[in-house]
Order: sequence, then C-alpha cells, then structure tokens
Amino acid sequence: MSTSAFIRINQVAKAFATPDGGTIPVVDPLSIDIKEGEFVVFVGPSGCGKTTVMRMVGGLETPSAGDIHLDGKRVEGPSRDKGMVFQSYSSFPWLTVLGNIRFGLRYRNDISSAEKERIARHYLALVGLGQFADYTINRISGGMRQRVAIARTLAANPLVLLMDEPFGALDALSRERLQIQLMELRRAERKTVIFVTHDVDEAVLLADRIVVFSARPARILADIPVSATLPEKRSLDILDIPEFRQIRREVLALIRAQETGLEAAE
Amino acid sequence: MEVTPRKAEAEQSPARPDRKSAWRDLFTFRAAAQPRQELWLGVGAFLLVLVVWSIVAESGLVQPQILPSPRAVVAAWLRLFTEAGYLGDIAISVARVWAAFLASAVIAIPLGILMSGYRFVTAVTEPIIDFVRYLPVPALVPLTLIWLGIGEGSKVTLLWIGTFFQLILLIADDARRVPKEFIETGRTLGASDGALMKDVLLRAMLPNMVDSLRITLGWCWTYLIVAEIVASSSGIGYELWTARRYGKTPEVFAGILTIGIIGLFCDQAIRMLHRRWFRYLQ
Repeated sequence: MSTSAFIRINQVAKAFATPDGGTIPVVDPLSIDIKEGEFVVFVGPSGCGKTTVMRMVGGLETPSAGDIHLDGKRVEGPSRDKGMVFQSYSSFPWLTVLGNIRFGLRYRNDISSAEKERIARHYLALVGLGQFADYTINRISGGMRQRVAIARTLAANPLVLLMDEPFGALDALSRERLQIQLMELRRAERKTVIFVTHDVDEAVLLADRIVVFSARPARILADIPVSATLPEKRSLDILDIPEFRQIRREVLALIRAQETGLEAAE
Repeated sequence: MEVTPRKAEAEQSPARPDRKSAWRDLFTFRAAAQPRQELWLGVGAFLLVLVVWSIVAESGLVQPQILPSPRAVVAAWLRLFTEAGYLGDIAISVARVWAAFLASAVIAIPLGILMSGYRFVTAVTEPIIDFVRYLPVPALVPLTLIWLGIGEGSKVTLLWIGTFFQLILLIADDARRVPKEFIETGRTLGASDGALMKDVLLRAMLPNMVDSLRITLGWCWTYLIVAEIVASSSGIGYELWTARRYGKTPEVFAGILTIGIIGLFCDQAIRMLHRRWFRYLQ
C-alpha cells in the first residue's frame, strides 16, 4: 500500500444488526486506495454492498470495523468535502433550478455572495441548463434533475464526488447524454470520483479503474486498471473497440459467476 | 381564480370537452376530474337538501318545534344579529379558537420537528402525548374549571389540550415523511443540524404541515362548542345552549349553520392559500 493515497479505505467492514439480536455481514473487511483525480467505478451484483462501501466513504454510514481517511483526515460523518449524487431525485422542489445549485454554496463561508452567484451560474451553464435557470424542479425531466444535482454538488467544491447509480432511473438516451457530459465535466474539473453502478457498459465507459465486488457480503473480486488499456478521452464509439469488449467480458464473467453462485445457493 | 372548490389536484380537462362524455366520466372508475360538472353536482345536492327541508317543514308534516322551516331559521338568524349581539359572540368564539390554535402550533411545530429528529425527544414525550391524546376533551372540563375558573383561560386551555397533542404527532409524522435523500443531500452540502431542520426539513414538509394545521383547526372548533356549552356566558356555543333552554329551535338551527359556515370558510381559505403558496407542486 502506498502512503500517498488520497482516499484510503483500510480493512473496512460493515454488519447490520437484525431484530433478533444477530448481525448480518454486508461488507467483509476490505481495503482500497484511491489516488487524487482518479475515477473509480464500483460494480457488482445488485444488493452486494457496493453502495454501502461508498456511503461509508461519504460518512453516511459508520464502518463496523476499520477506518477511512480522505486527504489525510479520518472520515467521521458527512461533510461538504464528500459530495453525494443519489439515484432518486434529490433536488428540492421548492427551489428553482438555479436555486438548487445556489443551495450547494449556501454553507460556504469562505466566499462572498457575489462570488457564490458567479459560481452557481458557472455550473448552471456547465451542465447545459442555462435556459432553465428559473424552472421549478417538477417541470423538468429526470435527466435534467440529475444534472441539477450534479451541478449543485460540484458547486459545493467537494474533495470527492460520490455518485450512487446516478443514471439508474433514466431512459437509455438520457443516460448516454449524461454519461458523455459527465466525462466532459470530469476532464474540466479533475475531481476524484467514486461511481457506483451495476451497468457494466457504463462502468467501462467512465472508469479509470473498476473495482468488482462479490455478492453479499462484499469482497473485492478484481481491481481493473481500465485507463491502462483504454484512452483517457473516450466517446460512445469506444463501445466497439476490442479492448473495451475485452474488459467488459472480463467484468461480466466475474459478476455472472457470482449470480449463478447465488442461484445455486438458493 | 379557478372554480374547483375541493379538487386542488384537478387535472386540466381538454379544451372543449364533449358534454356527454364529461358526465359519463363522473361514473367511470378513476376518470379525469370534471371541475365544472362537479361544482354543479355539489351545488345541486346542497339545494336538494334545502328544498326537501322546506317542503317537509312548510307542509306541517313535522312540528316547527322539531324542525323549523328555512324561513324561520333565517328570521332567527337576523334576530340573533340585531337583538342578541351575535357578531360579538362570533368574534369571541373565533378569538378563542385562534388563540388556542396558534398556541398549539407555535409549540407543536418545533417540538414535532425535534421529535422526528432526536430519539431522546421522542422517547421522553411520546408516552405522555399518547396518554393525553386518548383522553376525551369533555372529561377534562371539570379540571380546567377547578384550575382556571370560568374565565377565558379555562376555555383556551381546554381547546389547547384538545389540539396540541394531536397536532404534535401529525407534525412529527410530516417531518418523518421527508425523503432521506433530502436530509443526506443537506448534510453532504455542509448543513448543521439546525440549518438542516430550518432550510431543508421545514421547507420540504411545509405543504403537508399546512394540511395538518387545517385539519387541526377543524377539531379546535369541535372542542370550542363543548367548552362554551359547559361554562361560558358568551360565544356561539353559549347562544346555542341558551336557545335550547328557551325552546327556540330556529335559533339552535341558526347556531349550527353559523358554525358550519365559519368552518367551511376557514377550510376553503386555507386550501386556496395552499394552492397559491405551493404552486411548485403542480
């Protein structure tokens, strides 16, 4: 393990208590080191505990064992350093599109309100919602809502962006558009990202590195350095190149083996 | 202003709906709303009751002591206003209801939010609240009289007890129903507990909370009449009870209708404000 890790997940485990006094292990002790600026995708069978690992990084769940450090500081609960984008729509309906993005800056005391306004409008434009600044949330589509959520989180300027199946509820076309937009955003912002998905194509398309999780309780099955074989700048055309298909096959085989294992166990 | 008295969620009906199909839709399971037809039905049903009442009363089928005619009730109403100072009674009743209601809301809203957020507050308050909640308000009348006499204090206290312990649970439930994602989003954007409750929780629960307040205001009216009948020398309930004592049935009817009309008016006013304040929900 290197000592220069930006995020260090160290022997972290999680077990939930059951009503009858027992515990169910959800995550077996595991360690992951993430470099600054790295785009890491967690994939695995649904319900495997990959989201739990990410939520522990975000401070929204407490590990049962082990510890997590972000930029040298121990994670002790949620904070502005760990920005989160959820699968379900988390934009506030009582605020407009721009109002929601402004909310990301509400608790920053380090900048003036004029600067806040400038930053909010910058991210509004960056996610392509310039014309929709004054729309209420219930009047815009699911894809646009997720763009609002992403812009709001980026405006808060977190050290790491945590994305929990953010495109899972979108139709195929909106999803593609947001994937491309996320890649562009990411090149512009150089943020460290942890992205959870069960869509293998999405994982390979977006990732510098894919961590494949086993079925519950989660263990790490493979840690695949995607950026070693695929170019950094990608488009949807990449879905057809052999290297892409190779990684995709590899990941799918690992996950399928888990799911057949599960079925056999039942 | 749109004329859809009860259906805040009234759907946009197509530009020029075919009359026949609009009426047929009223009998179709979960069909689109027909605001105009529904309004007519509501007015029609109301008039029907009035007409049947008139016929039965005027024809002499029932003694006027039991069922006075609508004309007699209107006359009694006018007498109440001109001879008995009824406006003053209405004012004092409305003042009692609102004093108790506001006192309930001012305490129940912050406490309900705290209950939803902190296990400690729930653990301490819930058993007491559940206990008081099941006490019928009339059962507390003797106690409020012993403690506070027959002044305004005892009446407002009685109404307060009747509404506060119901309202606080409704508020706590409204707060609990705010999606977890809203709270977690607030946290990951750097909100403190206080900021989270003020800027996220309160804002998110506000539309449901206004509904809870509206419902509680209705209960407040119920208890008002109980309080005024038992121990009072003014108010709508007092006049109602006095009229009964002297066998003035038309005045009794006028009193009941007055309460109904004030209740209906308050309810509709709050519904209208709800639609105006929470346009973003549409």
